[in-house]
Amino acid sequence: MDETTVQVYSVLFVAITVVLVYTARFFGRRRARRRLQRQLAGVDQIPQWIAQGIESSMPLHLSFGGAGVGGDSTPAALAGAEFFHHVIGRAKASDMSPIVTMSAPATVPLGQDALRRAWPAGKTLSRAQWYPPDLAFAGAVAASAAAEEPAAHIMAGRFGAELALMLDSADRRGQPSLAVSERLDGQAVAFAMADHVLIGEELFAAPSAVSEDQGGRADAVVLDVWRGLIILGATVLLMLEFSKQLPLLSWPLVATVAAILIALGAFAYRRR
Amino acid sequence: MGSAGMAAFVAFVVGVTTILSLLLGDNPALFGEGAGSDELARQLALPGDVLLRLVAIMITVSILIGIANLLFVHIGRLARGKLYSAILLASFAFTIYWTITNKGDTSLLEAVQVPIESALAALLFISLAHGGARVMQKRSDVWGLLFVAVALIVLLGSLPLAELAPVKAWSDWLMAIPVSAGARAILLGIALGSVVTGVRALLGQDRAYRG
Repeated sequence: MDETTVQVYSVLFVAITVVLVYTARFFGRRRARRRLQRQLAGVDQIPQWIAQGIESSMPLHLSFGGAGVGGDSTPAALAGAEFFHHVIGRAKASDMSPIVTMSAPATVPLGQDALRRAWPAGKTLSRAQWYPPDLAFAGAVAASAAAEEPAAHIMAGRFGAELALMLDSADRRGQPSLAVSERLDGQAVAFAMADHVLIGEELFAAPSAVSEDQGGRADAVVLDVWRGLIILGATVLLMLEFSKQLPLLSWPLVATVAAILIALGAFAYRRR
Repeated sequence: MGSAGMAAFVAFVVGVTTILSLLLGDNPALFGEGAGSDELARQLALPGDVLLRLVAIMITVSILIGIANLLFVHIGRLARGKLYSAILLASFAFTIYWTITNKGDTSLLEAVQVPIESALAALLFISLAHGGARVMQKRSDVWGLLFVAVALIVLLGSLPLAELAPVKAWSDWLMAIPVSAGARAILLGIALGSVVTGVRALLGQDRAYRG
């Protein structure tokens, strides 16, 4: 595929996404879309952690990891900021404002902004904390968690294998955790070691799962529509490929197998 | 128009300009074979280049914001009598003094920072092993079992023992087909999420612009 074709497809993809976002937001305002949005198992615990934090005057720890504005992790940083904004807003009855940590300096204003907007009591300047990246960040966050004793850790952004140090430290102190990373190594560590985990694009759907914001829900629906279209497209392409390579395989058989696979996928999707 | 509306408008204009400039610029083939197509493509690429350079400058400046934040947080903690913060601030001041007086000498960094990071890396191995051993406690379901089984097969397959050749074949198949497919699915989902988040920012619908 030449460069021009790729550019044309890219423009079309972005344009279709814009149309889908506007359409979903338009219909989202007119109907109650709550039922259509999938449930994210990982975020169910957040209200409980917030309540525990309020009762015991313990802060929440929210971390962007290495997600930073300006690089290729900008969307993860923006999604994390939106997610944290809603979590902080729900915790505003507490006397301890959440701690927001990050290792990308450009994310400091973003974290500061999320705190300032969602925390009406103010005095949040020192609650957004930057530490040097990678292992130094993990060590500093583990030490900070020991000093501040947070009620829970919510880590949403870009993390590598160093996430293990932070989750291990939280686990030893009996502090619950929710983690998601846009990096695969961090995602694997999160799955193995966090109490609750979000997978991949659930990072971008999480803000709508903790808020009543119709726009956020509409964005999550667009995400699901694109995902469904890609799965459908991939299934159709596979069926076409199979029908070419295996002439003995009948179309009804391929269609039945594809239908069973899609039904299993839908079942697993709903269970999650 | 309020400040939030103005911020959303500026974000929209800058976002659309940059994306159009990046998608349409530097590719004269998009504008036919005419004599002016090269110049038109260059002109279209210019706003994107300028805005991206501004981003690079902003990111550089943000490092100063990060350092200022670190100092501010630890000065606050020092006021509450935290010893570690005193050590951090003293280390910071001493490193600045050392670098200035020794004309950019990095031996201090190599003597202190590198061993400490190496020690943390060793600790990370212990944490990972501990976490791996506790997977079945955290996830006592079929997915947890599958995770542990795959991890064990891949670990055993990486051992240089002739007796484990069948396990290595299994490990190679796992890495090439299911692991690769799963990784691509996760990355594809993240890419879709990035596009939707990008479009939301582009349309001025992000929280930062809504006030």
